[in-house]
Amino acid sequence: MAKHYGMVIQIAKCIGCQACTVACKFQNKVPEGQYRTMSPAVGPIGTYPNVSMHFGKEACQMCQNALCVDVCPTKASHYDENGLVMVDADKCVGCRYCLAACPYDARFINKETGAADKYTFCFEERLSKGLQPACVSTCLGGSLSFGDVNDPNSDVAKILGKSKAEFRLSELGTKPRIYYIYDGVVK
Amino acid sequence: MLTPVVIILKICENNLKKLVIFLFGGKGVNRRQFIKRALYGAGGTAVAISGFGALTKAAPKPALATATNEETTVFSSCEMCRNQCPVAVKVVDGKVSKIEGNPNDSGFGGVICARGNSGPSMLYDPQRLKKPMIRTGERGSGKYKEVSWDEAYTYIAEKVKELQQKYGGESVAFASRKGPHDWFFRAIGKGIGSPNIFSHEATCPMTRSVALHSMFGSEAIAADYGNAKYIVSVGRNWLEGIHVAQTRSIMKAIDNGAKIVVLDPRFSVTASKGEWIPIKGATDLAFVMAMANVIIADGTYDKDFIERYTSGFDKWQVEVKDKTPEWAEKETGIPKDTIIRIAREFVKHSPKAILDFGWRTGITPNDYQLRRAIMFVNMMMGNFEVPGGYYHKKYAAVLKKFPEMSSYAKTLGDIYQPAFPKPSTYRIDGTGIKGIPGQLIPEGDGAVSQIPESILTGQPYPIKGWFVHRFNPVISVTESDRIIEALKKLDLLVVCDIYMTDTAMFADVILPECSYLERYDKVFDMSGKTPKYVLRQPAVELVYPDTKPSWQIYKELAVKMGLGHYFPYEDMEEFISRQLAPAGLTLDYMKQKGVWTPEGMKPFYIRANDHTASLDDIVHRTDSKIEFYSEEVEEATKQGIPKYEQYPQPQEGEFRFVQGKVAVHTNAGTANVPVLNELMPENSLWINQESANKLGIREGEDIIISNGKYEHKGKAKVTQGIRPDTVFCYHGFGRISPGLKRAYGKGINGNKLINNVIGEVGNVCTSMSFVTVKKA
Ligand code: SF4
Ligand code: SF4
Ligand code: SF4
Repeated sequence: MAKHYGMVIQIAKCIGCQACTVACKFQNKVPEGQYRTMSPAVGPIGTYPNVSMHFGKEACQMCQNALCVDVCPTKASHYDENGLVMVDADKCVGCRYCLAACPYDARFINKETGAADKYTFCFEERLSKGLQPACVSTCLGGSLSFGDVNDPNSDVAKILGKSKAEFRLSELGTKPRIYYIYDGVVK
Repeated sequence: MLTPVVIILKICENNLKKLVIFLFGGKGVNRRQFIKRALYGAGGTAVAISGFGALTKAAPKPALATATNEETTVFSSCEMCRNQCPVAVKVVDGKVSKIEGNPNDSGFGGVICARGNSGPSMLYDPQRLKKPMIRTGERGSGKYKEVSWDEAYTYIAEKVKELQQKYGGESVAFASRKGPHDWFFRAIGKGIGSPNIFSHEATCPMTRSVALHSMFGSEAIAADYGNAKYIVSVGRNWLEGIHVAQTRSIMKAIDNGAKIVVLDPRFSVTASKGEWIPIKGATDLAFVMAMANVIIADGTYDKDFIERYTSGFDKWQVEVKDKTPEWAEKETGIPKDTIIRIAREFVKHSPKAILDFGWRTGITPNDYQLRRAIMFVNMMMGNFEVPGGYYHKKYAAVLKKFPEMSSYAKTLGDIYQPAFPKPSTYRIDGTGIKGIPGQLIPEGDGAVSQIPESILTGQPYPIKGWFVHRFNPVISVTESDRIIEALKKLDLLVVCDIYMTDTAMFADVILPECSYLERYDKVFDMSGKTPKYVLRQPAVELVYPDTKPSWQIYKELAVKMGLGHYFPYEDMEEFISRQLAPAGLTLDYMKQKGVWTPEGMKPFYIRANDHTASLDDIVHRTDSKIEFYSEEVEEATKQGIPKYEQYPQPQEGEFRFVQGKVAVHTNAGTANVPVLNELMPENSLWINQESANKLGIREGEDIIISNGKYEHKGKAKVTQGIRPDTVFCYHGFGRISPGLKRAYGKGINGNKLINNVIGEVGNVCTSMSFVTVKKA
């Protein structure tokens, strides 16, 4: 079966430590004040003393029906050979259509390159060299897993085999590759 | 088909809003604003952005020169906090591009925290100290001239000589954040005959050390979180006070089904992963005593363990006889049934259960008794030297005593220093004096907050000079203003640091250390369940050529002071090689791996297979028994068995003021580190929604906090996640040094609002201050 890359996020295991946030910044030379990913807190929810809280990773959802790709006038936003959404900075004219189109608000204009920028699974810098994305390899809580969902021996496949995953805004039909697992979490 | 442009960008607004609020506690900043702020650059200056839809680029794409160059990896050790995690530093073109965890260390699994990841941003920070400096204006005025190292050394040497002649060597105090520099730093103090050498520990875990020493005759006791099934935190917050190996172990335990119970007046991240018990402040000992009471009443304690390995249990039994859950309910505010349930759950999971002994302790004046009582309950259940309980660290000297393990014991060598002169008098804090509480204070630590007292009062004798190494008492020690007052009275203040800290700004001489990414240090012994040695080595050349490593600074200073013979080494390669040689290790090996543990050795628990195995080799008290009753403590404080002391609770209109750690900063150390400052530039005051309503305070509003003596401005974070009678802020903000340009004047310095009360065994007391809060 063809490779189907995916990221699995076990929300209950995220501790909001932002190691992923910072690792991504250095791996991808993201300018000051800009972020490709972050793990914000949701909560505390409820009323004292019955409160709960979790963290939800924000990042490009790597849609298979990507609205940003649809709107891009220059084809800078495109699918690569693995079907991952990428931005070719050389073709990007900074028109911001994709920023507006992205329902996950995952894109920004990189203030150094002037091109649209976003989370990439560290494709060029790491994945292509057989390494895990920077955020995954520094994840302190053990929340993040990445791999080929179609390979039954992969971590991601094993986790998905045990737990029910959700996609964000699945009603939009964007078919993301980021799987959120809420087991053990009070939403 | 959807029309993309009309899909509105609201979706994750809420989540980011919540991150921003959780971390920063400030005004609700939603994602759009967040991005806007990011787009508009730091400091709010508008960056030219082409209008929406304009088909032009905002800025040219710079050529990324590094992209084509080879990446090399240097294995070293992090110093963004004190934990020294093994790291793999990625270097491209002579520049550090990224830092990862060292994959050669399985305890870390290649993982480091946000602070560790931020290392390069500190390394290249233009706001670091770059040259030695001597003060030219008033203390605190920030007026300095840059000098050569030789001028700085000469100035210090002359001043110290003057003080020695006038007041004796004991008039000069030395204080550092404990670490590998101490071998060098302290040699200066010992060399001039000063007994007054301190670590920062009194502001952090010292009461725990005292407790462990009084029971085991050793402080080297650790908890095996990863294998535990039931873990009770008494204010410990592993998921924000990050220690990578321990944080990972806690998450591993949770993953394996362990239950976490968290006693904390504030809803911490750790509390969010378990059962949160918002205990009334300063009453933890009541809870622990009631646990003991329940377990004794149930008769479920490990009688064999107590019989075989401990002494004095009978006296503890008597002490907790009336400490019933009903009594503890009144003290702690925790329903008695909850106390009983937790005690029974704890018993059920023992010996794979941990009642945690804490990290940043020193909550109350008699905090050491809380730590002892905690360990009593653990020992009542025999949670010792088995997987999932406590264990003694297995460093080489311990393993040597076990024949089947001795082949793994490779001992590091010592570098010989000639005998130091014997100080002519006792220490200012009474450390080590029999018959007074000072008897219990660990000699290597001392009661650091006594230094400002002795400067100001001249009691028991005056302190006139102070050397401070990589430590920032103005922010780290209680009652900042009193410390500043003391600093202003000194004849000599020498500060060695990497930033112009809030203490450095009052110094006579400032010595710029280079960062951990540019230097060697002594090899660290980080042994836990197995022995482990970790190397720190330079990853790159000095970024600022006039900075130096501490081992060089103090050696050179020593030569100038006529103390050079205490530094019998040429350079650190030689020093480290001599450390490693007796262990059969080489510097080359350590440079290649960064870390050494004995190959093939599995974690070693003395009682894992034999519940009657002797503990004589690790327990160093009378008859090798773990002591419930301690003769030594009785002698020092007349409390050989912990007694419950009832501390005042906040009155109507007052709040108990507590502090804690956040995952993206290290105490008083990182507020100015660019990337971390960007993530969290300031803190705010957590206040319960209902309490805030009564005061008419809304989320994000400016407030004034007062403890009656001092006031502090801040912002309110209104939340459901805190007791109504308690307010909280993260530690390490409200910085007063203008040299910390990013952190200056942002947020609340909690220690300004806590009076300098020295606890029974020399600890600072972090949670004994009450404050009022009003709208600004
Ligand atoms: S900003 Fe760049 S990537 Fe986005 S739509 Fe415009 S040209 Fe395409
Ligand atoms: S590193 Fe892992 S645990 Fe930490 S915030 Fe990121 S996803 Fe969560
Ligand atoms: S816990 Fe984080 S900051 Fe501290 S040493 Fe480890 S990686 Fe560095």
